[in-house]
Amino acid sequence: MRSVGIGFVAAATAAAVGFLFVPALILGAPLEPVMGFVQKIFYFHVPCATMLFLSTFVCAGGSIAYLFKGSEAGDRVAASAGELAVLFGLCTLVTGPLWGRKAWGVWWQWDARLTSALLLELIMIAYLLARRYGGPAGRKLSAALALFAAIDVPLVYKSVDIWRTVHPQTTVVPSLDPRMRPAFWSAFALILLVWTVLFMVRLRLERARAELASLRLDVEDMLEIG
Amino acid sequence: MKTRNRWRRAWLLAVGALAGFALAPALAVAQEFQKVNGPLREELPATPFVAAAYGFIWIALLAYVAWLARGVGRVRKDLAELRGRIGEQADRGGPRP
Repeated sequence: MRSVGIGFVAAATAAAVGFLFVPALILGAPLEPVMGFVQKIFYFHVPCATMLFLSTFVCAGGSIAYLFKGSEAGDRVAASAGELAVLFGLCTLVTGPLWGRKAWGVWWQWDARLTSALLLELIMIAYLLARRYGGPAGRKLSAALALFAAIDVPLVYKSVDIWRTVHPQTTVVPSLDPRMRPAFWSAFALILLVWTVLFMVRLRLERARAELASLRLDVEDMLEIG
Repeated sequence: MKTRNRWRRAWLLAVGALAGFALAPALAVAQEFQKVNGPLREELPATPFVAAAYGFIWIALLAYVAWLARGVGRVRKDLAELRGRIGEQADRGGPRP
């Protein structure tokens, strides 16, 4: 594998420093009058959900390139983003019920937002499983699944505006108290940075695996000739 | 016919009286709200939920980083093995990939 660049090292260091610095900003932000201290989960829950959406769109973009143009690079991008979608989806689906238990009194509600978000996570898990165990057609099957996942994203986002749900609406972030904004946007920038670093590493690993597989075939051919 | 109607009326009265007795305590409780003295106490403390949420994100990210590191380690090991095989082949004077 090629050695890591200075940009990657800087991003990884900034992410590590951010994880020490951002919680202090969040603790310093004013308390929300209705929900109180448990609302602090919001500062990481929303960025994680946004990264789930971003990962799904990147995965779908790569899958389109692979399905319609046969792009191997697109497939590698999709595979890397697909894993991150599952990771950040898991973070969203765990932090949400922790917030809900305190704010609503229940861990889970089968309402439109929660159910569609769970569906998105399950589609992305199916994407990874189809890739891993789908056999020769697994990559194409998983690419098709990624397209369905991308269609689910706008549904998840707008579900709180279309149907009556217990989940806060999409107006929460634009109408955020100005004193809460620095903490929120710092947490958002941190999670985006972490996503970028993980995506770069995962993509690099996927490239290395592809090069290794190709090299292995060359060596097998060479040994047969030899 | 008259006796039958009388029995039916008596039966309905008995059921009504039983229902009234059964509901009476509930109605009585509903009339007995008690006012809270001092500040309202939260039933569930928020700190464990916030700590669990942050802890989970940390653990999930670190676990993924560890899993990535394991993958990188495997690729490096396989590359070293391939290089060894290529080196052996070259020593024997065979073709290089």
